Formats: sequence, structure tokens, C-alpha cells
Amino acid sequence: MAAWDLSVTVEDLGSDAPPVTISVDSGLHVGGVILKLVEKTQIKRDWSDHALWWEQKQRWLLRTAWTLDKYGIHADARLVFMPQHKPLKLGLPNGITLRLRACFSSSVFQTVMGICRMLNIRHPEELSLLQPVEEKKKKKDKNSAEEIYDLTEVPLSSASRPCLYNGMPAHFADSPQMEAIYKMLSVTQPPPAPEVIAKQYRAASVVDKAHIHGRWLDSSRCLLQQGIQENSRLWLRFKYFAFYDMEPKYDVVRLTQLYEQARWAILLEDIDCTEEEMMLFGALQYHISKVSQSEPQMLSSSAAMDDLETALQSLEVKMEGESSSASEMLENMTAPELNDYLKIFRPKRMTLKGYKQYWFKFQDTSISYFKSKEESIGEPIQQINLKGCEVAPDVNVTAQKFLIRLLIPAPEGMNEVYLRCENEQQYAQWMAGCRLASKGKSLADSSFQSEIQSIRSFLAMQKTSSGTHGNAPANDESLNTHSLVSPRYHKKYKAKQLTPRILDAYQNVAQLSLTDAVMRFLQIWQALPDFGLSYVVVRFKGSRKDEVLGIGPNRLIRIDLAVGDVVKTWRYNNMKQWNVNWDIRQVAIEFEGNINIAFACVTADCKIVHEFIGGYIFMSTRSRAKSDTLNEELFHKLTGGHDAL
Amino acid sequence: MDDIDAMFSDLLGEMDLLTQSLGQESVPPAPLPSADKEVSYSIGYTDLNESLNELEDCDLDALMADLVADLNATEVKFAAQKEVLKVPSLPPPDLPPPPKGLSTDPASSLASPASPASSASSNVSTSASSTASPLPPPPPQVSKPTKEEMEAHIKADKIKLALEKLKEAKVKKLVVKVLMNDGSSKTLMVDERQTVREVLDNLFEKTHCDCNVDWSLVETNPDLQLERTFEDHENLVEPLSAWTRDSENKVLFQERGEKYEVFKNPQNFYLWKKDKNTLKDMKDKDKELLIQENFCGTSIIVPDLEGVIHLKEDGKKSWKPRLFQLRASGIYYVPKGKTKSSRDLICFVQFDNVNVYYGKDFKGKYKAPTDFCFFLKHPQIQKESQYIKYLCCDDAWSMNLWVTGIRIAKYGASLYESYKTAEKAAVSSVWTNRSSSTPSSSNPSTPSPTIKAKSPSQANGHAPKPQQGPVSVDFGNVPPPPPPPPLSVFPHPTPSLPAKGSSKPAAPQRHLPTNFPPPPPATDLLPPPPPPPNEDDALEAPPDFLPPPPPAVGFGSLPPPPSFNSPPLPPPPVSFGGVDQSLPPPPPDPGFLPPPPPMFTGAGAPPPPPPPPPPAAVPGAAMRPSGSVKKMPPAPPKRTTPSLQGGGGGGGGGGDFMSELMLAMNKKRVV
Repeated sequence: MAAWDLSVTVEDLGSDAPPVTISVDSGLHVGGVILKLVEKTQIKRDWSDHALWWEQKQRWLLRTAWTLDKYGIHADARLVFMPQHKPLKLGLPNGITLRLRACFSSSVFQTVMGICRMLNIRHPEELSLLQPVEEKKKKKDKNSAEEIYDLTEVPLSSASRPCLYNGMPAHFADSPQMEAIYKMLSVTQPPPAPEVIAKQYRAASVVDKAHIHGRWLDSSRCLLQQGIQENSRLWLRFKYFAFYDMEPKYDVVRLTQLYEQARWAILLEDIDCTEEEMMLFGALQYHISKVSQSEPQMLSSSAAMDDLETALQSLEVKMEGESSSASEMLENMTAPELNDYLKIFRPKRMTLKGYKQYWFKFQDTSISYFKSKEESIGEPIQQINLKGCEVAPDVNVTAQKFLIRLLIPAPEGMNEVYLRCENEQQYAQWMAGCRLASKGKSLADSSFQSEIQSIRSFLAMQKTSSGTHGNAPANDESLNTHSLVSPRYHKKYKAKQLTPRILDAYQNVAQLSLTDAVMRFLQIWQALPDFGLSYVVVRFKGSRKDEVLGIGPNRLIRIDLAVGDVVKTWRYNNMKQWNVNWDIRQVAIEFEGNINIAFACVTADCKIVHEFIGGYIFMSTRSRAKSDTLNEELFHKLTGGHDAL
Repeated sequence: MDDIDAMFSDLLGEMDLLTQSLGQESVPPAPLPSADKEVSYSIGYTDLNESLNELEDCDLDALMADLVADLNATEVKFAAQKEVLKVPSLPPPDLPPPPKGLSTDPASSLASPASPASSASSNVSTSASSTASPLPPPPPQVSKPTKEEMEAHIKADKIKLALEKLKEAKVKKLVVKVLMNDGSSKTLMVDERQTVREVLDNLFEKTHCDCNVDWSLVETNPDLQLERTFEDHENLVEPLSAWTRDSENKVLFQERGEKYEVFKNPQNFYLWKKDKNTLKDMKDKDKELLIQENFCGTSIIVPDLEGVIHLKEDGKKSWKPRLFQLRASGIYYVPKGKTKSSRDLICFVQFDNVNVYYGKDFKGKYKAPTDFCFFLKHPQIQKESQYIKYLCCDDAWSMNLWVTGIRIAKYGASLYESYKTAEKAAVSSVWTNRSSSTPSSSNPSTPSPTIKAKSPSQANGHAPKPQQGPVSVDFGNVPPPPPPPPLSVFPHPTPSLPAKGSSKPAAPQRHLPTNFPPPPPATDLLPPPPPPPNEDDALEAPPDFLPPPPPAVGFGSLPPPPSFNSPPLPPPPVSFGGVDQSLPPPPPDPGFLPPPPPMFTGAGAPPPPPPPPPPAAVPGAAMRPSGSVKKMPPAPPKRTTPSLQGGGGGGGGGGDFMSELMLAMNKKRVV
């Protein structure tokens, strides 16, 4: 066979270096080409990760046993010899950018698997890579400020499961820097400054959202084939909203990143929710950030105190005291009470006009009041049991208004009562007492002190965020509540107006452990009506206008673009088959009952739609029995399209 | 230190004595006889044997335990409860009805809410209290007294023991009358830790029904014309505690298909927009999938309901249509001129503090557009109120859709858990029933119970219950003998209405006194009070009940025993056959034959007021102008506070200490 010259660019020689020319014949296999090439460069190093990339055809020559002839390579081929793994800037759901080496030669599906293995995220099939939205021009100054965590030194491993050390992959235990990276991955980020939220790109309409979903990379092709260059920026995101086998014990990073993605989806109104829900999300974010500071590892607090034990202890302690009399001892064991002068106002009672001062006693779950302190031994004027009541704050720190509004259930209806406190201290205590009592807990409850604390820190928030907006140092006590809600509410409410509303929602979640709070956040997010929908603008066959197709974990919905109404829902379990006509780029689906639909995709390639549908069907085939091994073949079969066939 | 130690041993010793004596005495003689009579009353003589069986069913041990229990603890509990119950109204005029009930079919009496007597009698008597289990023998006495450690250990053990007893004593129990479909009823003792599921299982055993998943306990409230199926995971005592004392509310045992319909036909709820015909043909596999998707994921998915519902605006009479949406976080409506986008929705109600109820005949009562109404209210609201949110759907289908959707949003996973449990129970019953079904001819298909309102207030005590009540009453009363039963009785016999009006009667019911020192003084005063007429009535009843004596004996062991009994108010006489004699009033009693039952009922109703013994006297006084009033005042009035502390029933000085300790402990424990 005749020999001919093949010129190959060796990336490691630098971009200016001329191509290396070697003499080959058509029967030479690719492995031989590489051997010759390496010899020619006379560089000694580990070339094992290198492979040949055929630029014109946009393909890797990975089968070293194939001959040039079989590949169809001739002298005019432009080949590049380069490593298969290259650095990539990866934006994580939490907004942090990582630099790591990803595989550019295998399918994106496998690339994501590799990344997830490195980051210790289970079930990589749920994630994928997204081309980021172009950033505006400010990019420059932002980039300089941005911290990039570097993971490029991590050795590549092919083990399907990294070995764990101290609960994290061994490579994170190498150095303090690496440990810091793991911490970043596994601990939730503090709430972003309101300005940061405001600056982020927000999809204003369902069409905008559809455009974002047009940016998913093709899972069955490699990065290089999709035009991704070394050091490009990509986003790693959860793509399929079917989260399988979520186990807080093993899924620390996965859970944290999922929470971050959900949090940003809420903050940027990627998914709609009501005002009440937004306040609850805000309260949970506040709680999560607070707890994660004190409880860095995802440990669930074992708060449940054995009251018997404690009672015994206090009793015993008391008994040791030599001179203690029985009465003293009892005093000490007596449940805590609150006693103070407060003002009360009952809007419905004619007898009391305006606020009247009485001596109040808070005991167990009841409030009783007396004319004066001196008369507090006798019969109270009234005793109010707060169990089951509604408690709402009415507070204005600057105006020194500290009101507790109580709605107390009675057989005849709800009785409204206002308690007016003199100062912050008093308010925090009584408010905390009322909150606990409304849930049937007494002041002796272990959460009483923490409840007081959280009320005070919320009051502090109100103080700082009112006057010195922007100047205030961002210590954790003075968290701006605007950091917890979407920009819409920045305009609608001042931070100090938001505070009581978030605090209101907060009382229901304040006792959750970190993991429970994160799980609660995810649950509420998943319970939103629009959860899990990815949108694509499509044109249905026979229709003249654009419509939106929503792709969910268990269904497809057809949405009227103009009105936003759901026109039709189809569930996957009724689907008999779906086909893509790659020539006319049309997706056709057949459902049971002779229902056929067909549409062309406007904002995304039909491969993306195809992959979404196939992907969700794949997700539903996962079962506990074989959860350890990922059936990659099936995934590609379902999502691959014509290339795979 | 020594003192305390000594006190503890004293206390423990006393408690043991108490338990033992009660155990022996009470079990054999007393309970049975009394029980019989009482049972028959409440049941309406339906079947003596049955009633006897029932008695056995109802846990005698539990009753015993109650008695034994520290009355003090009870008091504390009561005090707390009373507040809730404030309404003093007595149970309805019961007297007349009871007899009727007897004559007529048992079923009819039950069914008709009108029969006040039955309801009254049925009222719950709660007994709070007591500890029950025989105490473990006091910790082995100090074997090696020398070591401090040992002492400390023993001390701790004793304290622990005492605490456990206290804890047990705090458990609240209600006697609940459940009405069955056929008009009969079953009476059960329910303690506050029991879930509805457990109560249902209990009823399955008693009724031999087919145990399918539809069997439910249903609450009805005639005032509000409401109906609600209790959820299986709820504790039964809690909602019942919200009933007012004079409540006509009932608890029914019925098959309610809608309870778990969502798990049988999830497509009707989750795919409600689809064509109804296709829904009918849904394959089981697809149903299963729907349940998987919505109930087995990380998050419970609520059906996305949306539709126009008529709303009766706060306090207004008109019904206005609004476009409502159900979300996991609550019900929202679309404000006028806005889109349906989530951010524009206005929150109508969230579910934390409300329950959802079916409304009955709202078309008639509130001029609702249709009869397919449901409403949301705080469980404690028992009367009409602007805080109740009334909604009216176009048809039954959508009403069920909404009510079920709200339940899913409110209860989430527990709903499905309960269903699975119920399913298991149903399956297992199929087998057991096969063998046993033949024998149980009584109510195979229609065992539905109606429960009469049990006034939580009665929980205080002891008095009220007819059936079980008696038993419990006896015991409970023994110590505090006097006040409760009799008092209640009085009011009723005469003008039933007045009785109701006078909240006082309730006060007397408080038996708490047993422990309290006050009783003795009361006795002194009492002599005059013997409100003649009432007592007479009461007396009649008492004789029948003779059984009580035994308890008295048990008390005898206590320091103040006999003397107390006699002195106490008229009531005691009733309870204690023997004791009564000493009192003047007894003789007159004979007059009433029928009344006896009512009397009990009455007693049950009154309980609410907190002040223990003294109050009892007061009520009596109030009722009857007799001089008794004067005497009464001294003791009762101040009582309120002291009563709480008064706890130490056990033994003299020790008792006081004990009560204080209990008080303190309770507070701690509340946590």
C-alpha cells in the first residue's frame, strides 16, 4: 500500500506550532498512527488520555484498531491530537463556578456521570448540562470578582463509586482547600443579596422559559461535537424532575444542590407560587441558612428531651442541696411563668374601650389577668387558654409598637384579643409564649428560648433594614428579608413589612432540623402545580399559531400561549408510541384511544423534546432492585434518536 | 433529706395500699351490680345480656385505675379542660325522654336527637385519671443503706415511680356513646392516646361487621347541621373535647364510601377534568400508578381543583360565586379582573387551623343555591359564627372533589397510611368473620353507632355517665363522694331548663374534692344543705346502686374516709348506698322511678365548673333556696386555686406534699 503523509496538530505543542507530519498508509490502524505521532514529538509523558479528533467530520477516532481506511481518512483530513479530558467551567445550581476536567470525547450522558462521580452526586441521569444564558456586558468586572473553585487536579478515576473518606470522596480529603470545596458543595449558600437576585436573568414569560430549555446539550453526543471548547462555561442542572431514592444520608451534595436549584427557581420566579407560599419559602430559607451555620454537617438534631429524665434530674439536684426545704424545691421545679403588666384590648367587648392595663400571668398554656400584681393571688379577671388559637404579630419597631393579636377559638367563634407590650424584650417573651401555647406547648418547652431568639432576630432585621438600607453591614443578625423572596416582592413590600409575614410562616418550621427543613422546602416546591414542567414552544400539526408544550415527569400538557390556560393533558402511561421524523423535524405521538398528535418544535431542537420524553420514560423504569447500575443502554435507546438506531 | 425520703416512702406505701384495696374490693362486688342497672338505663334495656357484655368490654381495669388514680391529677386536667368547656349549660332536659327511649325501639330513641334524655345519659363521663397499674412493688428497699449512691438510686427510683403514676394519672378518658345504624348504641371508654383507628377496631370486635374500609366514626352537630368523618389517625378524644356540655352532637358508626374513595378511584380526583366515561373504565394498573405518583413520592400531590363555588361571605346572607383553586398550601381565589396566575391568587384559607365539614340541608337553613355544601371552621367552634366559611358547590360530585382534596392537602401522607391500615384490617377480618359471622346475627350489616355528645366537661369527672359512668363514678366519687352526682341530679329532676341555666350545678360535679381537705369542713356545713327535693329523687336511684359501698370501704383506709362521705353533699348518698342513710335527704328520693337515669345524665352534664366539692354544694343551694346556700359559700368559692394544689389524696401530710409535687411535675412534663 502506498504511503502518504498525514499531518496532525498536536495540541500540547502549542497553538502556534505547525502540524506534525507523519508517513502512513491506509492500512495503518489508529493506534499505530498515535504511536508514530508520539515518537515523532519526542516528548515523554503520559499520553494515555490523548486521542485523535477529526475536525472536518467532527468526530473522535477512538477505535484504535480501526484502520485509516475504515475511518475513511485521507491525506486532506485535519486531525488533532489532544487529551480527551479538558477543563471546563461548570456553574453549579448554587451559583458557584467550579473548574474541573470533564470528558470531551464521550457522550454528554457519560460526561455528566463522570462529573457527578467526582462531586459525589448520586443518580447522574437526572442531571445534564445546559448552555448558560449569555451574560451582559458587565461580565468583565463580575468575572474578576468571581471565585472559581479548582478541581482540575483531581485524578480521573473510572471507578463507578468513589471510595469515601469521612463521608466524602477520598479526593476531597487531600487538602484543606479540597475540603473547603466539598463544604461548598454540601452546605447551602447564604441567602444572596437582593441586588444579586435583581441582577440575575429572569424569564419573564413562558416563551422565555422555553428558550432556556432549548439550551440543553444533546446527551448522546460529546461536548466537542456540540461546539464546547476547553474552558467553556456550562451549567450543571437537574433536568429530569423525578428524583429517585432521595436519601439524606448518602445524598448530601445532591440534596444541597437540588435545594439550591429549587431556591433559585423560586427567587427568580422560574416557577410561580402564591404570596403565602413565597413567605413560607422565605421562612424556610431563613431557617436553613441559620441552622446550617450552626450545624454544618447535615445532621438531624436529636432534640427530643426526655422530660421525665430532666424532671428527675432537677429533683435530684434539689435534693442534694442540704438545706433545701420541700417548698423551695418545689419552687425550683415549678414550670416557668411569665408575670408582667401588659395592656389588653378586646375589640368586640363594649366594656373595654382602648387598652387597659392589667397584671398578666402566663402559665402553662394560659394567660390570666388581674387588676394588679397585689391581687394576683386571687381569682383572675379572666383566664384565656391559648391552645389552638391563632397568633399574629403587629409590630413596628421604630414606632415602638409591640402588639400581639390573638384569635382565640371558642364554641361561638373566634375571640379577638390584643396584647400590648412595652418593649422588645417583653414582646419577644410573651410572643414566644403565645406561639408555643397555640400549639399546645407550655413555657417549659425546650423550644421556648429559641423561639424568643428567633423573634428577636426578626425584630433586629426590621430595625436594620428600615433606615440604613444598603449601608448596614451584612452580619447574619441583620439579614435583609428581601434576600428571601423574589424581586416582585421587593417592589411590593418594604423589608420591614416582609419581616412579620415571614416570621409568621417561620413559626411553623422553626423546629425543623436542617435536613428536614431542606426536605420540606423541596416538598413544597414539588407540590406546586407547575412543578417539573419544562416548556417548549411548538406548532401543532394543523394549527396556525404557536403553542406551548409543557413536559412534566408524568405528562405532557398543551398550553394556550395567549391565555396561559392548560388546554389538554396527556399522560405518559397512556402513550403507545412516539416517533420523530428527523427530516421534517416533527414529533408524532400516539396515545391510547386513537389519539394522535404531531408538532414541530420552534424554540428547541426536536431532539431535545425527544430526549425529554424518552428520558422521563427512562426515569420511570428505574426500580429499587437495580438502582445501583444505571441502564445506560436503555437510556440511549429511549433518547438517542436516529443516531442510536 | 430524711423528711423527703420518708414522705416518699409514705406516699408510695399509701398508693400501694390504695391500689390493693381498690383492686380487691371494687372488682368483685361493687362494679357488677351497679353496672347492670346503669347499663340498662343507657341502653334502653335493649338487651340485658348485651349490656352486661358491654360492661365487660369496657375495660374494668381501666375504670378501676381511674378510681385509684390520683384525684389531684384529675383536677389539674379538669381545670384545663374546663376552660375550654366553659359553657355551663346542662345537658338537655333528659328526664322525660329516657323512659321513652326505653319503651321505644332502642334504635329510634337513639336516632332521634330529640330524645334528650338519652343523649344526656349518654354524655360522656370522663374520668381522668388515674393510674392504674398496680404499682410495681416499691423499689427494693435500701439493701445497703450505708452508701449514698444507693440511697440516691433508690430515691431516683421512687421518684420515677411517682412520676410514672402521675403521668398515667394525667391521661384523659372519655366514655363515648356511639350510635349504630340500627339505632342501637355502643358505649366505649376512649383514652386520649387512642386513635380513631383503634376505636374502630374496638367497634369491629363488638359489632361483628364486615370491617371494610368504609366504616367510619362520624361527628354530627345539629346546631350547625354538620357532619364530619373523623380521620383514622386522629385522636378521638381531642375533637370530642371541643363539644360543649349541652351539645347535641353525636358520634355515629357508619359506612362512608367517600372516606377512602380517592384510593379506590383516584382518577376521579386527579383526572377530574377528563371525560367521565373514560374515568369509569380506568384500568387498575393506571389507578395504581396514579396513587404511586401522588401519594408515594417525596411530596404528596394535591388534586389541582379549580372551579366556581358559591361563597357565603362573612356574616352576609347572600352567596356569591367565585373562582377557587385548591393548592397544597390552601384554597385561593382569583380576584376580579386578574388572571389565574399563581402570583395573583388571593389566599382564602389555609388548613392549619380548620377542619372541613359537610353541611346538611343548607338550602333550607342558609338559602344556599344547592344542598351540596361544605364548610371550614376551627374545630372548637360549635355555634354559628362569622368565622365559619361556608361554600356551596353545584353538585355532589364537585363537593366530594373539594372536600377530599382539602383532606389530602391537610392530612397528606397520613391519609394514605390510614387507608393501608384500614385495608389490612378489612382483609384480616374477612377471615375471622367467616368463622364467626354466623353467630353474630345482631348487627352484621348495620352496625352503626351514634355517639352522643360526651361533654368533655364531664371528663372531670365522674358523675355523669350512666353506663360506664356509674362504675367510674362510684369509684371516683368515693373519695369526693358527695357533690357531683347528686347535684347534677337535682337540677334535672325539677325544671330541666333551670338546671341548664344554672351553670353552677356543673361545679358541684367536680369530684376533685376527694383529695382535698375541704370536704371535711364541707361536711359540717352540709347538714343543713340537704336540698330536700332533689336529693329525694336522687336517693331513689342510689339504692339501686348500692354497689358503691365497696369503694367506700377502700376509702375507709384513707384517713378521712367515712366522715367525709356522710358530710358531703347529697350526691354522696346516691353513690354510697350505705352512707346515704346518715343523710336526711335519702328518704324522699323514692318518688322518682324514671328519673334516676336522667339524674345521671344530668350529673354528667354539669361537670364543667372547676371548683370541686364546695361548688357542688353551691349549685344545690342555687337550685333550692334552702339555707344550704349560705353554708356552701365558704368552702367552694376560694377553691379554685387551692383545688389544684390540693392534690395529695393519699395520706395526710404526705398527700399535700405529693400534690404539690405532682403539680410541679405536671408543669415540667407539659413540655
